[in-house]
Amino acid sequence: MADFNVNLRGVGSVSVIDVNGYLDAHTAPELENVFNKLLDGKNYRVVVNFNDLKYISSAGLGVFMAYVETMRENKGDIKFSNMKESVYNIFDLLGFPILYEFYKDENEAVQKFNELGLS
Amino acid sequence: MSYKNNIRNTTRAKGLENAIIVSILLFLFNLVFPEHDSLLLSLINEVLVFLVLFFVFSYVQPFLSTKIDSPLTLVLNAGILAALIFAIISISNSLFGSFTEEGARLNIFNSLFSIILIFVFIATLIYIFASFRELFFLRQKKDPRIYFNTMQVFFAFTFFSNLLFKIDKNFDYPYEAFYVVSIVLISLNSLRVSWIAFLVKKQKLYLLIISTILSLLFAFNFGLLLSETNTIRQIIVSFSPGLYTIFSLTMIYGVIYFGVIFFTTLFHLPTAEAFDRKAEEASSLMDLTKLITQVFDFKELADSITSTTNKVCNSHSSWLVTKKENEYQLNSVNNISYVEADNLTKILLDTEEVELQRVQTIYFDSVSVELKNEMKEFKSIAIAPLKVHGNINGFLITARYKDVNFDEDEKKSLQAFADYAAVALENAKLIAESIEKERLEKELDVARDIQKKILPDHVPYAKEFQVAALFVPAFEVGGDYYDFFQLDDNKIGFIVADVSGKGISASFIMAEVKGIFESLSKLISNPRELLIKVNDILKNSLDKKSFVTVIYGILNKETGILNFARAGHTPVLLCSGNELERIQPPGIGIGLDYSIGFANTLKEMQIVLKNDDIVAFYSDGIPEAKNAQNEDFGYERFENIILQNKDKSLDEITSVLMHDLTLFSKDHSQHDDITLVLIKWTKKN
Repeated sequence: MADFNVNLRGVGSVSVIDVNGYLDAHTAPELENVFNKLLDGKNYRVVVNFNDLKYISSAGLGVFMAYVETMRENKGDIKFSNMKESVYNIFDLLGFPILYEFYKDENEAVQKFNELGLS
Repeated sequence: MSYKNNIRNTTRAKGLENAIIVSILLFLFNLVFPEHDSLLLSLINEVLVFLVLFFVFSYVQPFLSTKIDSPLTLVLNAGILAALIFAIISISNSLFGSFTEEGARLNIFNSLFSIILIFVFIATLIYIFASFRELFFLRQKKDPRIYFNTMQVFFAFTFFSNLLFKIDKNFDYPYEAFYVVSIVLISLNSLRVSWIAFLVKKQKLYLLIISTILSLLFAFNFGLLLSETNTIRQIIVSFSPGLYTIFSLTMIYGVIYFGVIFFTTLFHLPTAEAFDRKAEEASSLMDLTKLITQVFDFKELADSITSTTNKVCNSHSSWLVTKKENEYQLNSVNNISYVEADNLTKILLDTEEVELQRVQTIYFDSVSVELKNEMKEFKSIAIAPLKVHGNINGFLITARYKDVNFDEDEKKSLQAFADYAAVALENAKLIAESIEKERLEKELDVARDIQKKILPDHVPYAKEFQVAALFVPAFEVGGDYYDFFQLDDNKIGFIVADVSGKGISASFIMAEVKGIFESLSKLISNPRELLIKVNDILKNSLDKKSFVTVIYGILNKETGILNFARAGHTPVLLCSGNELERIQPPGIGIGLDYSIGFANTLKEMQIVLKNDDIVAFYSDGIPEAKNAQNEDFGYERFENIILQNKDKSLDEITSVLMHDLTLFSKDHSQHDDITLVLIKWTKKN
């Protein structure tokens, strides 16, 4: 259906995933592949940058739920940043902000990881 | 034309009758006139003989045409008959050599014997001649009929020119001229032997031997009757000089024809193997083409590919590997064990992976393999990629013990077979995909069925309030669920839930949610407590990435008090007077958090309904319905519809909403279920 792109980059010890387009049941496996790659490489500190994400479905939300536990068990986390209001509302409705950290800016999220790393 | 055909058909059809009638005439004629010295009697005799020859020929010839595809049988039959003639001549020479004196022929026994002999000769000659004719026409692209017919005409001329001797012993020029021309024509016609090229090597060798023997046999037959004193010659000549002419011409034809065949076959022998291989290649490609369209089973096709590869490429072992998610899988082996082929493939592909865009040959100093309990060494191996749309899906590999390069032709064949395998593999994949698609559609049917069965078939009725429900399933089954529970005389439970994901897995969770609510709603009268319990129960059946959003409310029809709790679900809309309120008490979706956090977050709300208040429970399918520009239908449109139609009946409100939704997303397929439950408080309080 709609286009979806995912890009992985490293910012220091933190892995940043850029998601772009429409994340739904059909495109979620692409994002899952990226998370699997991160697990393989033992990269547990993840920031997902939602700057270019236009839509997320329940299947898309499920991807983060599936991996966050493992990340946290390994002293990492999945943090979200640069979310549009419409996308944030979907997360908000479900109660994600209670369980996940949301940041306006990607750097803040990365910074948060680095602070943890220093302490 | 039709007249001509008509004649031809009757001569053919009545060939046997005619032949028999003329034969009997000839027989009687010879019984009556054993000696025919006068010109007239001779002429009648010759004409009768000619007619017998003609009719027997017309009878035998179409019968032989059925053997057109087996030239060797024709050759062999002609050879047997030539041998028969040889035998008759030899035996009668030794038997009757003693009484060939004048007068002996008057003996009725001798006369009968000679007539029978004559008929045997006629039949044999005609059969041999007809065989030659069939061989002549074999594999001829153009119509060479004129050449053969000309020759036949000259045979006839030669036949009848014998009679001229009766007139004048010295008048032999025409006879000799016709005889020589006939031989020249025989020689020319004997050159049409292109059918030899199409024989396989074995047959060519066989033909080489046979043609030597036959050429000699025909020469003997001709030579034996060359001497004027030969008994058989005397019998034949005295019976009909023309018959002798035909006999000698046929024998000469045999000598020349089989001589030509001998040399042609000899020259064809060196290329026979290459020709065989080409023919094999062509026929196997044809077989494969047939298989490719018929076989759904890739293994079967792979087996035929490896076995033909072995044959056509002159290899000892061949095998086919396909690539599936970067893993190589052995599909078929020919004359090599799976284990050995697997090992070799690994060695080959580890070293050559990068370069394999086209056929390559690889030479090994020694790759030992165990074949049929025998250690062998592969010296050269050729490997061809299975390419479709530029992707390599596997390899076809063929190997030899001999240190002989695979030549260009063999490499081309290998690539051709690899291409076939690639196409077949692609076909098999497409079929599997379409089966999978069909399976998914069946699955969706099941999911839709489950959903239909678990949704209520009517809305509750009470004089204190009205209820209306709208449910529009998405094609893929979105996982929406709504229901009503009569809890006690005064209380009714309302639920709208949305299971994440789609299809059959969502519909199973839906069914489970229904079951849990059916039983727990009667036991736990507090919506918050109930949702906390549901979260606990679903922990065991929801996988990590699934969740359920629920809004659950209990309405007391005595008091008009609505208690509800929301677990990650869309907010409740309350339309009271001219105001519309979006009520979103805190609560996390079920399945997101199984810790105490879920309970801590979840808050219960209570509203007291006033007259004509409308409450809307719904799924995100409404505000998130999309149009062609991928814009959301949104809350505002939804809320406005309720506000503007609040005085109408609930059914009217749902139909207006449905109408507007359909209009909004007319160019966009509905990808999620749409559920709406409206409650209107009508009791004055």
